Amino acid sequence: MTLSDREKEIYSRQLLVPEWDQEKLKGAKAVIVGMGGIGSSSSLYLTAAGIGKLRLCDGDRIERSDLNRQILFNGKSVGKLKVNEAMQRLISLNPYVEIETISDFMNEQNAERIVKDSDIIIDGLDNNESRFTLNKLSVSNQIPYVYGAVHGWEGFVGLFNPPHTACLACFLDRDVQKVDVIPVSGLLPGIIGLIQASEAVKFLMGIERNLEGHLFVYDSQNLTFDIIEIEKNSNCPFCST
Amino acid sequence: MVVYLKAGSILRHLLKPNVDYYTRCVKTDSGKSLKEILTNIGINPGLVAFAYTRGKVIGLDYIPFDGQNITLQPPVSGG
Repeated sequence: MTLSDREKEIYSRQLLVPEWDQEKLKGAKAVIVGMGGIGSSSSLYLTAAGIGKLRLCDGDRIERSDLNRQILFNGKSVGKLKVNEAMQRLISLNPYVEIETISDFMNEQNAERIVKDSDIIIDGLDNNESRFTLNKLSVSNQIPYVYGAVHGWEGFVGLFNPPHTACLACFLDRDVQKVDVIPVSGLLPGIIGLIQASEAVKFLMGIERNLEGHLFVYDSQNLTFDIIEIEKNSNCPFCST
Repeated sequence: MVVYLKAGSILRHLLKPNVDYYTRCVKTDSGKSLKEILTNIGINPGLVAFAYTRGKVIGLDYIPFDGQNITLQPPVSGG
């Protein structure tokens, strides 16, 4: 994929970064499922970085209570579809990214269509049941999956690329007790989405030092983090067969 | 023997840290699994989404050694 002069101007600072491969990034396609706090951040930075194609999926409309963390939206966005508002904002940031929208909630029936032809899946979901659906597709279609989740002051990012690495279900128990009301610091989804975008960009450009097969655990209250290795689980119900 | 349990977010107040902000020192008999240790200190193991030590995930049937540090993570699902 060649870059126009205008694109080279936009990306001029990152073109100077060692190992940065803008043309490879321009040839890549990501799907972001869930355009809430994490999805707002990851989509913003993937667009700014110049990914080639971005598919946004969410059936939700914007509410006033979203505005503390869903940074693509503003007061005039309330009541509108998230994917439509997001597309307008992202296009105005970088018109050289091709953006496609699906104004629907992901389910077992439409999930295959949502992720098809993607080079990478970015998780912006707000429930683990849907994450397992996305994980199943990552395994069956062999599409790398960038997991992201937040609660209170803590956030996680993982990059799973089965069959080369573990999948989400290798360490996360599907039957773990569910939490109905999720408190979230408004700042944290921004950080987690940004790290997801960073790891996705590195992976797509072929930079080996990324989170593949690992989980980043971040405590924003105490400014500490752990990076833990996720080993393949030989009894995993998703990827072991 | 003792085991040092460290907990994330919503588990932290249940853990009742007594070493630092995150960590509780638990006295236990050797040979007890993590699940048994949690049950004995009044924490429902079902609240632990996963646990890890020395950079690797462990199951609740893991048997800690004396002085080991283990981090417990609750379900985290927001987005």
